[in-house]
Order: sequence, then C-alpha cells, then structure tokens
Amino acid sequence: MTTSNRRRWTSLAVGVTALAVALTGCGGGNASGGGGGEKTITWLVDNTENTVTYAEQIAKDFTAANPTIKVEVETRPQGGEGDNIVKTRLSTGDMADLFSYNSGSLFHQISPEQNLVPVTSEPYMANVSDSFKPVVTAGKEIYGVPVGTGNAGAVLYNKKVYEKLGLSVPKTWSEFLANSRKIKEAGTDPIIQTYQTTWTSQLFVLGDFANVAKADPDFAANYTANKAKYATDPAAVKGFEHLEEAAKAGLFNKDYASATYAQGLEKLANGEGAQYPILSFALPELKVTFPDKLNDIGLFPLPGDDASKNALTVWLPGGVYIPKSTKNLDEAKKLQAFIASKAGCDSQTKAVGANGPYLVKGCDLPEDVPAAVKDMLPYFEDQSKNSPALEYLSPVKGPALEQITVEVGSGIRSAKDAAALYDEDVKKQAKQLNLPGWN
Amino acid sequence: MTTALKRYGLGALAIAVTIVVFIIPLAFMALTAVKDRREAAKLDFSWPTTFNFLENFQDVLSARKFMLVTAFINSTILTVVSVTILVVLAAMVAWILQRRRSRWNGVANFLILSGLIIPPAVVPTIWVLQSMGLFKTLPGLILIEVAFGLSFCVMLFRAFIASIPKELDEAAVIDGCGPVRLFFRVIFPLLRSVIITVIVVQSVHIFNDFQNPLYFLPGDANATVQLTLFNFQSQFTTSYNLLFMNILLITIPPFIMYLFFNRQIVAGMTAGAVKG
Repeated sequence: MTTSNRRRWTSLAVGVTALAVALTGCGGGNASGGGGGEKTITWLVDNTENTVTYAEQIAKDFTAANPTIKVEVETRPQGGEGDNIVKTRLSTGDMADLFSYNSGSLFHQISPEQNLVPVTSEPYMANVSDSFKPVVTAGKEIYGVPVGTGNAGAVLYNKKVYEKLGLSVPKTWSEFLANSRKIKEAGTDPIIQTYQTTWTSQLFVLGDFANVAKADPDFAANYTANKAKYATDPAAVKGFEHLEEAAKAGLFNKDYASATYAQGLEKLANGEGAQYPILSFALPELKVTFPDKLNDIGLFPLPGDDASKNALTVWLPGGVYIPKSTKNLDEAKKLQAFIASKAGCDSQTKAVGANGPYLVKGCDLPEDVPAAVKDMLPYFEDQSKNSPALEYLSPVKGPALEQITVEVGSGIRSAKDAAALYDEDVKKQAKQLNLPGWN
Repeated sequence: MTTALKRYGLGALAIAVTIVVFIIPLAFMALTAVKDRREAAKLDFSWPTTFNFLENFQDVLSARKFMLVTAFINSTILTVVSVTILVVLAAMVAWILQRRRSRWNGVANFLILSGLIIPPAVVPTIWVLQSMGLFKTLPGLILIEVAFGLSFCVMLFRAFIASIPKELDEAAVIDGCGPVRLFFRVIFPLLRSVIITVIVVQSVHIFNDFQNPLYFLPGDANATVQLTLFNFQSQFTTSYNLLFMNILLITIPPFIMYLFFNRQIVAGMTAGAVKG
C-alpha cells in the first residue's frame, strides 16, 4: 500500500462525508409558494393519460378565472397501489388539498366521515346530478363532486363488420348468439376475450348487472344483506351462464387465453374481431391509438333475456374530495365549485373530448362525440334504461372474480360452480366490512 | 474432437443462453421504443416500419413538465448520498462488531438480522419522519434507504474484515494510531473490493427502488426515475412506445455502471464469501 493511495482514500472518505452532511442539511421543505395573496393548492389525480390531460386543463382554466390561486396537479398510480397511497396519505394527514378517487364501494373504504370535509350544503352541489349524489354519500353527508364522465360496461362492436353482414344490434341474448354465429361463419372472430389482462374477463358478469337489476330491483339490497346469492338467484347467475355458453359455442378469438387488452382493442378496431365486452374507458385509448377507426366502433348493452328490459350498466365517474387535513379549505372549495360547473365540463371536453355524459347539470356534449358515446346517450338519459354497476350499490365485491371468470371463459369451471365459488369469495370481504347478516 | 466439442460447445451454449436472457429483452425494448404508438401496442418482436426515436425521446423527456429531468437529478442525489453513507457507516459498524467483543455484540447482531427479516411498515415510518420534519424530503428518503440497506452491507463487510489479520491493527496502534485514523487510514483502504461490491449492488438497488420513493417521497417535484414510468402506463391507456423509451433511458445508468465495475463485483463477492 503506497502513501498516495492511502491519502486518496482518506480524502475521498472525508469528502463524501462532508458532501452527505451538506446535502442532508440543506434539503428542507419549501412547500407553499410565496406571498402577495397568491396561493398554490394541490390536486392529486390518478395517472391515466386521459385524467392527467383534463386535470391540467381544468387547473389552467381555473387559474385563468381565479388569478390568485394556482393549482398543482399531482399524480398517483391506479389500482391497489393507488388505493394504498390514498389511504396512507389520508391516515398520515398528508393528503393534497383535493384528491380524485373512486365513488361507490371504494369511497366507503377511505372512512369519509373521519377523513373528508362534507360539502352537502355548498351552493354548487345544486349543479350535481342526483344520480351521482348517492355514490359519494356516507351517513347523511355528501362529500364529493363528479369529475370525468359516466361510463358503461357494455359491448363495443365494429360497425363495419355489422354493416357488411347486414346485422342489427341485438336486444336479447339469443339474438346476440345468432349474430355471433353469423359473424363466425363469415370468418371473423365474433367475441373478443383477452385473458392475459384478467380484469377484462369480468364484463360478462359485471356488465350484465343492469339486466339483473331490472329483473329483480331489490337484488343489490338483498345481496348486501346476505339474502340473495349469485348462485341461487336466477337472474344473477345468467352472467356466468352466458359466458359459459359463449365459450362452449367457440365464439371467442383463438388466442383468447394469451391476448392482452391492447391486442383486443386492436382486433376490434381493425375488424378482426367484431364484439368486445369491455368498459367504455377503452374509448380514450381507441381515440389516441386508432383515431381513424374511432367512429367505426359502436356500443350496445350486454343483452339479457327480455328485449323490453334491455338496459345499460353504468359506471359513475369518480369524485373530487377535500380531506380534513387541508390548510386551504376556501380555495379547495372554489376548485370543487369550478369542477361542478359548466366551465369545468367544458375544460374537460376541450382537453380530451367527451368520452361519455357528464354528471353535472347543464353540461352538454359537443356534436362530434364518438359514435360509441352517441350510442350510450339514450340509455343515460332515461333512468329506466340504465342501472349503476353493482359496485356502486353494494359494498360487497370479492377480489377473485376475475380469476373465476377466466376459468369459466376457458371452460375449466362450470357457470353454476363459478357462481357458488364467487359467493364464497365475497364472504370474507363482507365479514371484514362487518356487514349485518353475514356473521 | 470430443474435447474440442466439449470446450467450444459449452461456450456456445453459454453465449446462446446469454443472448436469450439478456440481449433479446434489450433488443425488444429498444425496438419498441422507436415504434409509433399503434405499432408498439401490438407488443410483438418485429422490425419497426417507421423510426420515431427523436419524437419519442422528446415526448418522454418533456412529459409532465420535464419530470424525467428532475427525476434524474433526484435519483442521482439519492443514490450517491445514500450509498456513500451506507459504505462508511456499514464499514464502521462491521469493524467494531468484528474486532471488539463485548456483551452488546449479541444484541447488535440480533438487530442487524432483524433488519433483514422484519419487513418495514409504511405508516409508522411516515409518522416518525413527520415528527422529525423529514417527510417528503430527500434527506428523509436517504435515511430510509440507508436504514434498509445497512443490514446487508454490515454483513458483507464483517465477513471480509474477519479475513484481515488483527496484527495489522495492533501494529498501527503501537505506532500511535488513534481509532479514527486507524479506521480511515489502515482498515478502510483494505476493504476496497467489498466497498466496490457494496457500491454497485446498493446503487443499482437504490436507483431502481420503486416502493420507497412512492410512499415516502410523494409529489411530482420529488419524483425519482422509476416513478416516471407511471406517466405512460395505466389500467385503460398505455403508450407502450413512450413507456419503453422511458425504460430504455433509465436503464442506461445502471447498465454503464455494471460495464465498468463488472470485474470488481465478482472479485468483491468472492473475497467476502469464504470466511465467516
């Protein structure tokens, strides 16, 4: 060991230690920006391209209308990771001034009464559609305003394929099967299934709920109270049975087991597949990836047995909530008011176009909405033709549904068996939520 | 003939396996990164019909107000500082534990082991950080990374220090060396190979860390490179071309590091491996 080597190591060690001390010392917070009456509020949204784009547009337009308030948009991941972030930040009192989060059953899991500021008596709540209010209500108070558009769990279909074969939109399950057989004879895949992206497999069951609700209006309440079951309710088990029937009839694309959601959309857009039961959340993706094919895509509800009761299963938009920990309550409420106004919808339409109807009164859709959105509108306008998805009406939702429906669609498990298994699956969750009637 | 076959056949097999395991994913990444959005969404291994390297590169760089640039700065500071503290601290702890037998040794060893075994909890950690005013700051995250990496590093160092003869310390002490000088001028330079191992392993680990920055350093201004991946990927919409371009960009630094330190890592690993 030479002297120079030793010296070099010593100086390196001393140097890095000094650097470490300097860096740790100077990193302190500079959370809130400056004086002059100007305030910055933060808004946490999920990281979907669609959401981020419209959130930034809303922030910009809001600041234009209220020059003293700046809005900073923060993002979080979606899914389980995102739920954890929201719960963690709420329980540590570190939530942004406003945050977007799901309505319905997930909303109840963030302890709204304990964590959120109620906005029931705010004047801007008059703008919010009455069908949205129940899904952001806990106890007697309302906690949020809607952001984004309503969506549907339905069948997206390729209009070109339908036109070429002279088919009309099916109103009943048997018509749907008949159409599918004709499409298969013509050499196109009738029904697209993409089981590598497991959540897409649930649509036959979840998207069928409007038919269940029309056949048995009390199903959701009875289901929550442990009085109705998927396996024993003749209307509810239909979703599983339809999936099994379609699988047995060989109506899926050949690579259904390994195809992904993105590939499913590509098949649909290119007309390789005709019908794809999916959430209309897919429309923004279709719009950016296949802009020239967007208007070839139409939408119809998953058909049930009765043509006169054919109804659409609706996914309501998420809400924007204010946590109790905010230090800028007035400014946050102003932003909430802006989101729940016509100006708010207009900024969203300007940023991403309308992907479905808004849940704010007075918000009209522009003329040039995609064809699938136009197909959705009549169902949204008439209360008797739609029903919110089960997850908005009941907190009971099992975690394993997507695995179970993959099994049914792959022909591994029978519909009856699957429905019974799903009933078992939800038990754990219902017990965790301590719902009456489950213990 | 057979010996030649044995010699070259084994080599060829190794090369083939390397290609399948390392080169193909890398090529897939690079190819997807230059495709346009529609083509990339197919996620197939094909030659791109159009090359959009510059467009994709610009899109990725400028996304969310140049978040990637901030993220690279944050990640660099985080990695350099955490690894530096880790190396110095872990070497000191390991030296003391190895050289000075006392009844606290058992307790210290137990704590170090539990650092490896017990999974960290998020919410209590945030409470601690909040009470110290370190939550949402880079120094806070640096301390977390140091805490999580310390156990592993101490064990590596201990194993290696056991192989350094104690006589060396004694000779230095007899020559009038104080403890601080003894450590920095005699012991620390001898640890060179382990230090390099720790630097490489830990900096790749910290640079690639996703969970800790996600929970302990929220906010766009604080993003680290792994978090920028979320700009392009979500449940319903994913721009695979931009996602892969981003992956490509943030894979380069650890990749370069491996190229440079490759030989030393192996030396360092084996140096500490035989004696316990």
